[in-house]
Amino acid sequence: MIAAIVVVPIVAGLLCYLAPRRAEALVTSVAAAIAFASAAAVAVFRDAPDESVRWLVQPFTAAFHFGLGPGPGTWIALMLGLVAGCALAVTRVPRRRDFVAQMLVLLGAMMGVFLARDLLTFALFWDLQLVPVFLILVGWAPEGKSGSAWRYLVYNLSGGLALLLATAAYGMLVGTTDVLGSASAPAPAALQGAALWWVFAGLGFAFLIKTPVWPFHTWMPDTYADLPAPAAAVVSAVQSKGGLYGFIVIATVLLPGPMHAIAPLMFALGLIGLVYGACVALVLDDAKRVVAYSSLSHLGLILVAIFTFNPLALGGAIVYVVAHGLFSAGLFITLGEVELREETRFLSRLGGLGERNPKLAGALTIMVLAALGLPGLAGFAGEILILTGVYQAGYPAIAALSLVPIVLAAAYMVRVLQATMHGPEIPDLPQREDMTVLELAAFAPLVVAVLLLGIAPGAVARSANAIAASPAVATLSLRAARR
Amino acid sequence: MTGSALVSLLTLWMLPFFSAIVIWALGPQLRRAAGVLGSAAVLLSFVLACALFGVATAPGGLHVTPLIGWAPGFTFGLLLDPLSLVWVLIITGVGGLIHLYSIGYMAADKAVARFFAYLNFFVFAMLTLVLSDNLVGLLVGWGLVGVASYFLIGFWFYKPSAVAAALKAFVINVFGDVGLMYAIFVLYGATGSIAYADVFAKAASLPSGVILTACIALFIAAAAKSAQVPLQTWLPDAMEGPTPVSALIHAATMVTAGVYLIARFAPLWNASPQAQELVGTIGAVTALLAAILGTAQWDIKRILAYSTMSQIGYMIMGVGVGAYEAGVLHFFTHAFFKAQLFLGAGLVIHALHEEQDIRKMGGLRRRTPFAFVAMAIGTLAIIGVPGFSGFYSKDAVIYGTLEHGHPLLYAAAVVTAGITAYYMFRMLFVAFGGHYRGEVPEARLGMAQREPSEPVHAREGHVPDWVMQIPVGVLIVGSIGAGYLAIGGAQSPWWRFLSSLYGGAQATAPAPISELLSSLIVLAIVIAGVAVAYYRYGTRSATASAVERLRGEALRMPAVLTNAFYFDAAIELLFVRPARRLGALFAGFVDPAVIDAGVRDVVWLTGAAGYLFRALQTGLVRGYALTIVASAACFVAWFVLTGAAR
Repeated sequence: MIAAIVVVPIVAGLLCYLAPRRAEALVTSVAAAIAFASAAAVAVFRDAPDESVRWLVQPFTAAFHFGLGPGPGTWIALMLGLVAGCALAVTRVPRRRDFVAQMLVLLGAMMGVFLARDLLTFALFWDLQLVPVFLILVGWAPEGKSGSAWRYLVYNLSGGLALLLATAAYGMLVGTTDVLGSASAPAPAALQGAALWWVFAGLGFAFLIKTPVWPFHTWMPDTYADLPAPAAAVVSAVQSKGGLYGFIVIATVLLPGPMHAIAPLMFALGLIGLVYGACVALVLDDAKRVVAYSSLSHLGLILVAIFTFNPLALGGAIVYVVAHGLFSAGLFITLGEVELREETRFLSRLGGLGERNPKLAGALTIMVLAALGLPGLAGFAGEILILTGVYQAGYPAIAALSLVPIVLAAAYMVRVLQATMHGPEIPDLPQREDMTVLELAAFAPLVVAVLLLGIAPGAVARSANAIAASPAVATLSLRAARR
Repeated sequence: MTGSALVSLLTLWMLPFFSAIVIWALGPQLRRAAGVLGSAAVLLSFVLACALFGVATAPGGLHVTPLIGWAPGFTFGLLLDPLSLVWVLIITGVGGLIHLYSIGYMAADKAVARFFAYLNFFVFAMLTLVLSDNLVGLLVGWGLVGVASYFLIGFWFYKPSAVAAALKAFVINVFGDVGLMYAIFVLYGATGSIAYADVFAKAASLPSGVILTACIALFIAAAAKSAQVPLQTWLPDAMEGPTPVSALIHAATMVTAGVYLIARFAPLWNASPQAQELVGTIGAVTALLAAILGTAQWDIKRILAYSTMSQIGYMIMGVGVGAYEAGVLHFFTHAFFKAQLFLGAGLVIHALHEEQDIRKMGGLRRRTPFAFVAMAIGTLAIIGVPGFSGFYSKDAVIYGTLEHGHPLLYAAAVVTAGITAYYMFRMLFVAFGGHYRGEVPEARLGMAQREPSEPVHAREGHVPDWVMQIPVGVLIVGSIGAGYLAIGGAQSPWWRFLSSLYGGAQATAPAPISELLSSLIVLAIVIAGVAVAYYRYGTRSATASAVERLRGEALRMPAVLTNAFYFDAAIELLFVRPARRLGALFAGFVDPAVIDAGVRDVVWLTGAAGYLFRALQTGLVRGYALTIVASAACFVAWFVLTGAAR
């Protein structure tokens, strides 16, 4: 049944092309239902045993191995189902049937990434998820904007290629890639010296680009700005988490040595991204780019958290990964609604929408507050656990510096809210009706999840316990604390 | 702890929250009922809080834990002890009265349901702040009151000035939140727990550097929330919100959260004399600066805002030097008389159709006699006339600075008392004395020309006057009588009530003068302040030539006062502009001209890749897609075939 979570959306996506174009409303509803059902399936089968089919014996063994279990992947998959369902439910783009088809393929491919328990399977789905995003960019980007599609592809395919090569090398050296099943696997002795570093470089390069970590980030704002809002929501919420997930679940467990060695560099890149993204988000006029750069800032914080190897910070990192997925999707979806109504997303041209769209204003407000880390909502829970852990791991200066972007976040996120919803109404903008009951119903799961995760993130934080307790990490955090 | 006490505590905490949700969800359907529902929820919380008085004052208070756990050491619970009880009673009691008053004040506003939803949410947030038994729960309440304040300052969100004021208040408050976060890192790092009980148990054994760092971080939070120098600039602007909001949030409750924070963390402050010195000094500086600025304001709500800032300076000074009972007492009495002053000002503003400038008032003692009585009694209380509550609390704070060995702070506190008397009576004389100046053109009064603003309220409220007058009447009783609890010094009911928390901390140095002499000195200074105000604004000749005198004063006002000592300009120059410049530099230059250019060069330098790239750029979408799929298929095929071949 777990494999079905991956396979069904992909097959359903391809079947969409058989449906008549006129039935696009029905196709959209069915697709949203499939996405929500995938979230439900993740919740229901979270304790089900892994499913594995061996498909490669030479030159190394590999399997189509999928599993859920108590690890971080389950929570991210759950979040993915919710986000995709909500994004699909509010989709209103031209040629909707084809768009929905690509979104379903994307959903299945990303489920494959987070449910894979085999490194080669992981890498294949990692590359597969590029295809629908590239096609959506080519087909639905604004007129004359195919540049972002290419940029997305060149960046992510070079990352994907590096990941594939590193995976192949890992398989050759170790003899199997079916290694993601348990967090406590000891690092194999076959990986040593230069080979170890080449494997790590391949994985790390892919993860850095995908996250993206500064200075590999310039593909991201273009991509998010040119993707239609529902696709931007899903890509920013989940696809970009693949990199951080890879660092936590794969690199930390399989390659602890190099992870520890590059920690200082990652601190530097994470902190630069943290401040850099926040400063840029302060000045940009395009609402989607503001959210894109805010992501650069937030993801920098998670990167820092991972490389402290502190149990509290690792738990916080998972909480923040899920939280960021929820609120960045919520932001892209609501800002998409704004753009749909006003035909612009430039902050200087918007204003006063709250007067006639109180429901949309309420939805945007909650996501803005979650994004700026309002205590009681999901973003804060991640931040406080991460930063307390960072301080505890022996980096008070980094913890203090990381507080600066939190103040900046308040400024740029509230700016988005005020520039769209508050102030006097701008007369020459077209007016449309407020969010419908159905749209609100589709959005509600995100709001509930943001609240629940903000109040009781304990279960999500504990999903990192197995990794934090693995022998490799335990020695790392001990070393980090001693330093 | 009994089960019913537990249920009562949870109910009194969550009731305003659920009420807020209901009002927010039902919204427009409720209309008038929104106010009744909101007020009932808060007043019911007040009744429950009164019912828990006995349990809360028992040793250890009412402690419920754990409600929720996040991680080791991150455990959340509720604590109702005498200190939090004082705040709970004021939040729900005075808060309930302000809710009732708002039924009348906001009756004509079309968004009245949204107003009560926000107001109830604020009460819930504030209760969370004071009922938490741990640092992170405190921070949750701390952040939620900040956002409630943001919503209510920007309640009339179509006004650009309100939107700007809300943003400023929010960002400065988040700066405070961040201070509290750092304190959490330090204290959790040192003790491995966020619970007050664990932190205080280990406070004595912590290194003094750790305690000082934690205290400074906590004080950043306190200063931002309580508008202490240099984080005070948001409070006067916050008067953009409706007047009941100014009374509840920006006078009686939220802005005193900093006082609560310091009083709550007394064990840390007692262990760090340097931190006490810092807090006491900042409190005194704020009290003095705000009082000076209070003399230069024309907007009746801004006068009260600066007086609030100044009085909180007193409270901070009190709890800062270690006179916790006195500082908390001043919070208690201030809540009554300052809420009353704001609500009285609201009556005036209501009667004059949104006029807030005292130059356009005058002679109001005849037009709005009830408001005049309320404002006059509030003024007598705030300047500390014997018999009124402010006298007992303010004198206790002022003498407390001397008892704890801070003669300089004592001098500042005494001078501030005189200035307070002056500017409060200036307001009374100009607004309520003399003749009505509402018809005098702005230019003759030295005012800037104003845009005719659209009326926020309809001309006639639909609610009888007593709806707004009864809450004010109850507050008058409090602002006279609240201080009597403290008659008798250390043997008074007030001191004994808080003895379980602060019983151990006694005066460190014998004061050089007796309390009676100190009171007489303060009283003399206060009378001098009133006399100066009378001479300048109250005499017959002053009222006869009021228009010319006010115009002259307005035109001669020193720039340093109209610009509030240039704090805003400094913040703009030091923080806001550099951050924006940096952002523009990154977005406009670094991203496109450094990073992207570098990446392009790398791509082009790999010659083969570059060639391939050009050849592939055929512009045909199908071609691109085919290429990707074909490559992926080739790769998969290779793996499958080699695998199958073994």
